[in-house]
Order: sequence, then structure tokens, then C-alpha cells
Amino acid sequence: MSRFILHIDGAVVLVPQTSGDAETVVEDKGPSPIAPEIKELAWGAGAFIVLFALMRIWLFPRLKKGMDARYGKIRGDHESADATRAAANAEVAEYEAEIATVKAQAAARIEAARGVLEAERTAALAEVNGRIAIRRTESNAASEAARAAAAEHVQAAVADVSSRAAELATGHKPQAAAVSGIVASLMAGGHK
Amino acid sequence: MLGLKFPPINELIRWRDIFTNFNKVGVIAVAAALIGIAVFLIAGSRDPLKAPTGVRNLAETGVNFIENDIVMQTMGKDGLRWTPFLLSLFVFIYLCNLPGILPVLQMPATARMAIPLFLALFVWVIYNAVGIRHNGIKYFTLMVWPPGVPVAMRPLVGLIEFLSNIILRPFSLAVRLFANMLAGHMLLITFAFLTNALFFAETKQFALKPMSILPFFMLVFLTAFEVLVGFLQAYIFTILTAVFINAAQHPEH
Amino acid sequence: MEAIVRLIAATAPVQTPDEIKAANAAIGAGFAYGLAAIGPGIGIGFVVGKAIEAMARQPEAAGMVRTTMFLGIAFTEALALIGFVVFILLGL
Repeated sequence: MSRFILHIDGAVVLVPQTSGDAETVVEDKGPSPIAPEIKELAWGAGAFIVLFALMRIWLFPRLKKGMDARYGKIRGDHESADATRAAANAEVAEYEAEIATVKAQAAARIEAARGVLEAERTAALAEVNGRIAIRRTESNAASEAARAAAAEHVQAAVADVSSRAAELATGHKPQAAAVSGIVASLMAGGHK
Repeated sequence: MLGLKFPPINELIRWRDIFTNFNKVGVIAVAAALIGIAVFLIAGSRDPLKAPTGVRNLAETGVNFIENDIVMQTMGKDGLRWTPFLLSLFVFIYLCNLPGILPVLQMPATARMAIPLFLALFVWVIYNAVGIRHNGIKYFTLMVWPPGVPVAMRPLVGLIEFLSNIILRPFSLAVRLFANMLAGHMLLITFAFLTNALFFAETKQFALKPMSILPFFMLVFLTAFEVLVGFLQAYIFTILTAVFINAAQHPEH
Repeated sequence: MEAIVRLIAATAPVQTPDEIKAANAAIGAGFAYGLAAIGPGIGIGFVVGKAIEAMARQPEAAGMVRTTMFLGIAFTEALALIGFVVFILLGL
């Protein structure tokens, strides 16, 4: 058997129960355990009032001011960030508008240049075509003339040869007009 | 028969004076105030524009807790000027509760009637003063002769209201904090005693000594529970203070 | 009550009137706390149960419900704590 006593200073000590009555001094029960003690009340009151007064006058306003300043700064930062973002967005929009106008201008210019080019090309083409046509007609005419001259030459030569052949065959010289007429009709017929 | 003698309660919760009229409860109360002041002093001297860390973060969490979870829930925006009072109340009570579970101290200062009684009386003076300042003499007439109640019932309701406001509120406020902390303290003591008694039991039953692990587990569990209780009682005391002040400002509700 | 007191008186060798008084006080204290704990136990059960129901129905109102729940618990619990104080006054 043993007995445990928690002494007033809080240490749990093991007290082996001696035979007979322990020599522990049994105090009377003292004041009621739930009665407030004046000294504890005074210390507690003093401590709390000091804490409250300092908190009210000095500590809390200082902390709160700091917190408000930081929240204000954060809010300001947010707002400035928003403003910066809006400005950047506006700049981007402006830039895009500029790009659009420049693009439109470039397109118009390209369109105009293309038109000019087209016109020039058509004109050049037309001129070249015209020149080719003239050259062609010229060459056609020249070749026609050359052919006509050649035909006359051939006709004369044929007439000459035929009249010579006829002279040799008949012994007299045929009339040049008749021979050339026959040759001409033959050659015209031979062309058919 | 168990050879366990539970000591008289006065031996458990009354402490010797360290020097004249200054015992452990006084030490805890003074330490609570000093720690509270130190925390807010250090927190206030940190650069407020940087993100809060360490002590400053702790202090700001406390302020935000009081503002968002206590003042805004019970008093609304008008009550924000009560934040320093409620904050110091909460900090003081919490730091007085906390030694109940700290290994060396092992004594919640609020397990003695003195500090809860003083705080409850302080709150009582404040909320009655606020009521008189806001409503003048109407504070008492509205309390004793409440409008919106059938006339036949008014004396009864008025008496109940009067008793509730003047006597029961501070009484229950003090007793709630005191009895909760004392009950927790007694529970911890009981299981500590049981553990100790089983572990050091001089017995022939060899199975008895290992059984001391059971009350020890209970002790650990109850210590964790007391962490919660210490916080909760500080919270409840503070929020009830806020409710009482708000009710004194608007007694017609 | 009377029967229990008599039973205890019969089993325990009590002699002096002071000891009888102390025994009665201890019994009374036990009853005081036990009876004082019944009502608040049921009451706190109701308060918390209803609060959880409300929070489950409307999770967005959980903060307000929790605050009110703690207030309700505090008021209900006060009775049990007064019983505890009486227990200490009588018994220890």
C-alpha cells in the first residue's frame, strides 16, 4: 500500500504508508476551493489592466495602422497594376489599329500598282500585237509580191520555153501573145 | 481495496506564496500579460509593408480572428472599435488557460475563481456603462419594462431580464470559464494520479503495472482535449462579451 | 436517497456524526453533479445536432451557424458547470 500526496508546490511524491499514523501535519481544510483569493484577484486584475491599457493606447493602433497601410498598399498596387494593364491594353489596341491602317494603305497601294501594271502590260501587249500585226501584213504583202513576181518570171520562162519548143517543133515562131495567153490560162488552171 | 487516496482539493489548486502575496497564479497572470505585450510589441516593430511572418503573422492572425469571427459575427461593423478590448481579453484568457497543459506549469490560472471573477466583473461594468451611455436611463426602463411583451407578462419578463442582466450574466460568465478549466485540471490530475498509482503500486498482481498505460493514454488524450477547451473557453468568453456589449447598445432587441 | 444512505451506513463502519455528515455530503455531491449533467447533455446534443443539420443544408451559412452554436453551447453548458461547482462545494 502506498499513498500519493500532491504537495502544494506541485510535485507528486510517493509516500510509503508507515504503520500507524503518519506524522504529516494535517492542516485544516482552508478556505473554500471556489472562493476567489484577494491576492490572485489583485495580480490578475493588475496584469489584465496593464495589458488592456497598453493594447488600447499603443500596441493595437500601431499594429492596425501597419496592417491598414499594407492593405492599402496592396490595394494601391492592385489598382496601379490594373491601370498599367489597361494602359498596355490600350497601347496594344492602338498599335493594332495602326497596323490595320498601314495594312489598308499598303493594300490600296498594291492595288493601285497592280492596276497601273496591268494597264501598262495591256498597253505594251497591244503595242507589241499591233507591231506584230503590221509586220505580219508587211511580210505577207512582200511574200505575195515576191510570189507574184516569181509567177511572172515562171510564166515568162514557160512561155519562152514553150514558144521555143513550138518553134522547134513547127519551124516557125508562134505568136508571143498567144503563147503567153495559153501559158497563163494553163498555169491558172494548174493552180486549181 | 485500492490504496489510492485522493488529496484534498485545496492541496491541488492552492499554491504557496513565492514571496509575499505572489503565488503561481499571479506568476501565470503576469506572464500572460507580459507575453501578450511582448508579442504585440515585437509584431508592431516589424516592417508592416512586408508580408507578415513569424510573430507579426501570429499577432495579425489574432487580430483578424477577433475582427472576422467575433466582432463581425456579433456586433457588425460598428463594433470594430471594441477590437482592442476583445483582443486583450482573448489573449489574456488564452494565455492563462494554456499553462494547464504546459508540462512544467501544469496549472491554468483561470482554474482559480479570482481571474474569471475579475474579468466577468470588468465585462459587467463595461457593458452596463455602454448601455447607460447609449440609452441613458432608458437602459434600465427597457430592461425592467420590456416593450413588445404582453403587459400582463411584463413584470415577470422584466424581473427575469433584470436578474439575467445584472446577476446571472456575470455569474455564469465567470463560473463557465472557471468551472471548465477547473474540471479539465481535475480530470488531468485524476488520470495522472491513476497512472502514477498503478505504475508504482506495490502489488503481487504483476499484470497491474502494465495496466498503467491505459490511464496514461487517457491522460494524453485529455491533454489534447484541454488544448481545445482552453482555446474554446477563451473564444466563448470573448464572444459572449461581444454579445453582451451589443445587447446593451441595442436593448430593444 | 434514504435507502442508499442507510445502505452505506449499514455497510461502512461509520461512527461519528461528522463522518455521517461527510458521507451524506459525498452522496449528495455525486447526485448533484450527475443530475446537473443530464439536462445540459441532452441540450448540447440538440444544439450541435441541429447546427450540423443546418450546416449540411446550407454550407454557405456555416460560419454564422457555428458562432451561434458556440453561443448556444455556452449557455446550455453553464447549468452543468454550476452543478460541477456545487459538487466541489459539497463533496471535496
